[in-house]
Amino acid sequence: MGLDSEQNKTAPKPLMRDFWSKYRMRMYVIVTAAQCAFVLTAFGLMWVTGIMHLDWLAFILISLLSAALLNIMTIPLIYAQSRQFRDLVHAVVHVSNEPNAVKPPNPNSYESRHDGFKEILQTIYERGADKAETETKEEKAPTKGEEIEDGVVNMASGLAIFNGKDELIYANPRAPIRTDSKTKKETLDLIFPDDDSLETWIADVRENEIRAEREWTRISNKLPGEKERHIYDITVSYHKDRRAEVVVTLFDRTTLYTPEEDELDFISFAAHELRGPITVIRGYLDVISDELDKDLSDDQKELMSRLIVSASRLSSYVNNILNASRYDRKHLKLHLSESKMRDIYDTISDDMQMRASAQNRILVAEIPKSLPTVAADPNAVGEVLSNLIDNAIKYSNEGGLVHVTAKATPGFVEVSVIDRGIGMPESVVRNLFHKFYRSHRSRETVAGTGIGLYISKAIIGSHGGTIQARSIENDGSTFSFTLPIYDTVAEKLKSSDNSNEALIEHGSGWIRNHSMYRG
Amino acid sequence: MPIKTILVIEDDRFIGEMYVRSLKKAGYEVDWMVGGNDGLVAARNKQYDLLLIDIMLPERRGNEIMDALRGKEDLIPESKIIVITNFEQDEESRMAMERGADAYLIKAEITPKKLLDVIEKLG
Repeated sequence: MGLDSEQNKTAPKPLMRDFWSKYRMRMYVIVTAAQCAFVLTAFGLMWVTGIMHLDWLAFILISLLSAALLNIMTIPLIYAQSRQFRDLVHAVVHVSNEPNAVKPPNPNSYESRHDGFKEILQTIYERGADKAETETKEEKAPTKGEEIEDGVVNMASGLAIFNGKDELIYANPRAPIRTDSKTKKETLDLIFPDDDSLETWIADVRENEIRAEREWTRISNKLPGEKERHIYDITVSYHKDRRAEVVVTLFDRTTLYTPEEDELDFISFAAHELRGPITVIRGYLDVISDELDKDLSDDQKELMSRLIVSASRLSSYVNNILNASRYDRKHLKLHLSESKMRDIYDTISDDMQMRASAQNRILVAEIPKSLPTVAADPNAVGEVLSNLIDNAIKYSNEGGLVHVTAKATPGFVEVSVIDRGIGMPESVVRNLFHKFYRSHRSRETVAGTGIGLYISKAIIGSHGGTIQARSIENDGSTFSFTLPIYDTVAEKLKSSDNSNEALIEHGSGWIRNHSMYRG
Repeated sequence: MPIKTILVIEDDRFIGEMYVRSLKKAGYEVDWMVGGNDGLVAARNKQYDLLLIDIMLPERRGNEIMDALRGKEDLIPESKIIVITNFEQDEESRMAMERGADAYLIKAEITPKKLLDVIEKLG
């Protein structure tokens, strides 16, 4: 049954030339059936009413004979009368260029009839000839636009053009396009970074620029592991109020970038391996410093604390690398629970105090116990907080104060890490949260990877919070982040078994990423 | 109820010994099992106040131990459970949380001193 319907779907288009024979057969069958019915009824009536006296054999023979006679007489009549219709069909088949064994009817053979049929045939042939002529003309001289379009369809890069209303005007076959489920608009099927999407850039240049161009690298249409994933470098040009306002060119770099994705896997694997020995080093340092506490001189204690601080930093770096590699592969997953900011700080407070005192800084934390609880992954937020405090320690002056405060704002708890250190100019602040960004000056003076703030922003953003930096050069910096108050999101969390999807409203890679990871 | 007896199930000898040593020093009564099967048997034979369970264990995973123990309902409600792992993003570790562990800690971050703090708060 399924097979039948399948065949029906793929059945070839019926041919025009077959129409005539089918039509004629249908006509004969109908006429013959009608005649048989007529003869049978007529003789039957005569027999029943007694006008004719026959036995049944004679009745059937006479009926059949009469029907056959009638039929023989009508067939030539039908043939003669439908000849014109046959010629009409063959004429149309001829001008349609469909192959046909029958010779096209000659209009002149109707010359003597004067009933207009000759003219009908002539008209059909003339129109057919006109059409064929225009077709060949077009083939010979395609327009410039058609040539260009042909080239664009065949080009190796993707091309998508949008007008000033963000409507897709044109996309060639290489451009990945999907229809947005909400707005029903056709858009590029690409996963941009959360805070740096094509849409936000266009919105920004529409406000501020007449012409603009920019590039994105490594933008993919699917998540890692999904089928038919392509990774693109893209260039976008914007020209205000042009018909083609936004032109996007996509270069498929899938083969180039895929090995790097494997490398990312390797990084994550290596970082995991590092964690085993780090656990042992940190743990035993803890045990030894505790057991030797009475026997060590102050000098030796100082050395010991440097060991401990370095081990804890090493652990933080590994955490940052692990999280960044997960985040880049869209695998970072948080498990949000009702947490107290104070408890989160307490788990890292010893490490932070040690780091501060090892570098002669004073760390003061004032996180009220009375603050509302937040929806947070305690381990991940602990990592964010230690990144911020560690930075404050690094970039403040000898003997300086690092101040950690927290307060409730509407819907959120805001935590700030304040230092009175070297500060940064505006140009540096702007780029702080980018991956591997390190200001020129910090590269010379302070060790670090430039990954801490990048991943901190990713983690806070995934909580549905925000992170920001304010700074005055030579006067210090303030880093603040917010986390949603647990009560405000408790319902959403319950419906998504404590994962963070529900907290992030906008449709971005993150949400897709999480739903994928959850399988 | 204050915690007095602790069962550590951890296959890494360095790490296991580190926790056992500092827990004993802090005055707890500690047993230590290396494999998942032995760990489950020990947990069934004696009512511990706290189970410190690694996720990635030979023979039987930490989650399987928790599931098996939950079958015997008399044991679980009174034993606190702390899960430790260095693979906190693995789905397995995530599930441990949903299986009713009281705390869920990353080994590289949880030095013995911090572990004592956590246990004290749980008790």
